[in-house]
Amino acid sequence: MKALVIVGHGSHLNGDSSLPIYEHAARIRREIGGFDEVVECFWKEEPSMRHVLDTVESDEVFIVPAFISQGYFTEQVIPRELGLDGSLTEKDGKTIHYAGPLGAFEGMPDVILERTADLMRGKEAGGTTALVLLGHGTDLNKNSSGVIYLNAERIRERNIYDLVEVGFLDQEPEISGVVENVEAENVIVIPVFIAEGWHTRETIPEDLGFDGEVTVRDGKAVFYGAPVGTHPSMARLIADRAREAEAASLA
Amino acid sequence: MRERTGNVAAEAREAFAAWISESDDGRVFGEVRIEKDGSGYSIRHIEDEGGENLDVSTDPTDAREISRFTESGEYRPLKSSPNLRRRWELRLSGEAALVSAMNYFYPAGAVHWHLDREGELETTSFRENASRQSGMYERAKHLSDEAAQNAAKACCEDDVCLKKTLWDIDDDTPLEAERGDGEIPCPEPCSVFVSFARRVRSFEKEEIYADSDGLTPSEKEDIAALVDGAASGGVSFAREAEFEEPVNERRMRYRRLTLAPKLRPEGESG
Repeated sequence: MKALVIVGHGSHLNGDSSLPIYEHAARIRREIGGFDEVVECFWKEEPSMRHVLDTVESDEVFIVPAFISQGYFTEQVIPRELGLDGSLTEKDGKTIHYAGPLGAFEGMPDVILERTADLMRGKEAGGTTALVLLGHGTDLNKNSSGVIYLNAERIRERNIYDLVEVGFLDQEPEISGVVENVEAENVIVIPVFIAEGWHTRETIPEDLGFDGEVTVRDGKAVFYGAPVGTHPSMARLIADRAREAEAASLA
Repeated sequence: MRERTGNVAAEAREAFAAWISESDDGRVFGEVRIEKDGSGYSIRHIEDEGGENLDVSTDPTDAREISRFTESGEYRPLKSSPNLRRRWELRLSGEAALVSAMNYFYPAGAVHWHLDREGELETTSFRENASRQSGMYERAKHLSDEAAQNAAKACCEDDVCLKKTLWDIDDDTPLEAERGDGEIPCPEPCSVFVSFARRVRSFEKEEIYADSDGLTPSEKEDIAALVDGAASGGVSFAREAEFEEPVNERRMRYRRLTLAPKLRPEGESG
């Protein structure tokens, strides 16, 4: 039997934080298939990573972290809490495959573009258009921004938008400056975040002066999308990530 | 951790289902009563024994939505808090659906219940748990034994968490808190406790700033918040795990243990 375990951050305060994880799990169970069990676990909610494997009946387990970038959580916290040795662990009669985070996975640009298409459906956007990928970023870890640049580059290669830029909350280039200075009549801002939360709902709209999905100012129309991580096609990305981990261990 | 043999999750599913089936009037687990219902199972809130006007579902994953918010719409970060909402019933077709629903109501509860009954549940002490914390939770390591004991009394007793606390402070220091009477074992401090312990550590660190009456800055902040709230017609509580806010239930339970005795010294009438 095969189990997929999706690891989310979760929250002690915000009931919406874990919602996309549950929704993606339900979608994989219902529509995508390929696993006998699909189980959710969290850092700050229950079941904890520490105990989730006790609830899994399957002997082959695929762990997919619902995190954007490689870093503190995917490298330290998740392996420690789940008791993993690396990409492959044999433990308690189970073979456990640990897949990498989602942001650098080759399917990610497609999810971003689907999110963008959803946002722009039925909206007029004549003239030049820039796509701006918004990442959290941190000066503490280069991987956090690296994955945003990687996706921007991959989308740029497809020649869909006149410009593809990146901006961050906690490091340079800072997002409000990017949106202000980008030379395009239409600016599409897509948060490359896993869930809705304090940043996507409050700090970002406030700091950038967004009026909602569309803000027109200084001759520019700024379109603000929902986070990539809540898009339904993330479910497919998670399942594909697990299958890739399986293929890698067979190779 | 000791290597386990056999399929613990499958054994737990069978044992849990058998335990329900053995009983004529069902079993209580946390705040739910589970009964055998023909070839399936029925789960209800223990307060909904009469079974009238219940919102009935046959989908085990509905347990997640039921257990997400309290009756008054507050988010429930800790599923074993005694605040599960009422007026629903799950009618489930078999063992797998039963355990799936139970894992949403009380995550890992059934498997820990089984391992505990078999004498195979491994516990992790507070010190062992705190020693592996990193990042923002690292400071929980430095909590004194006394503060850890009070934190557990404030955070883990049945008034605020229905799990039976099995862990100790360390191998030589048993927990002083009432461990609880429920069926759901708690083998290790949870993330809500670690977050609370981190806040209590900040209370310990500010003791050097106590005034001549022994009151610390955050203790005075809490008293002021209570006075302000009561004077405006009602004290509104912070969210369940919002420990940085003065009027949080667990924070207040900790103050009852550590601040109330300072305000009402022994021998003085209250």
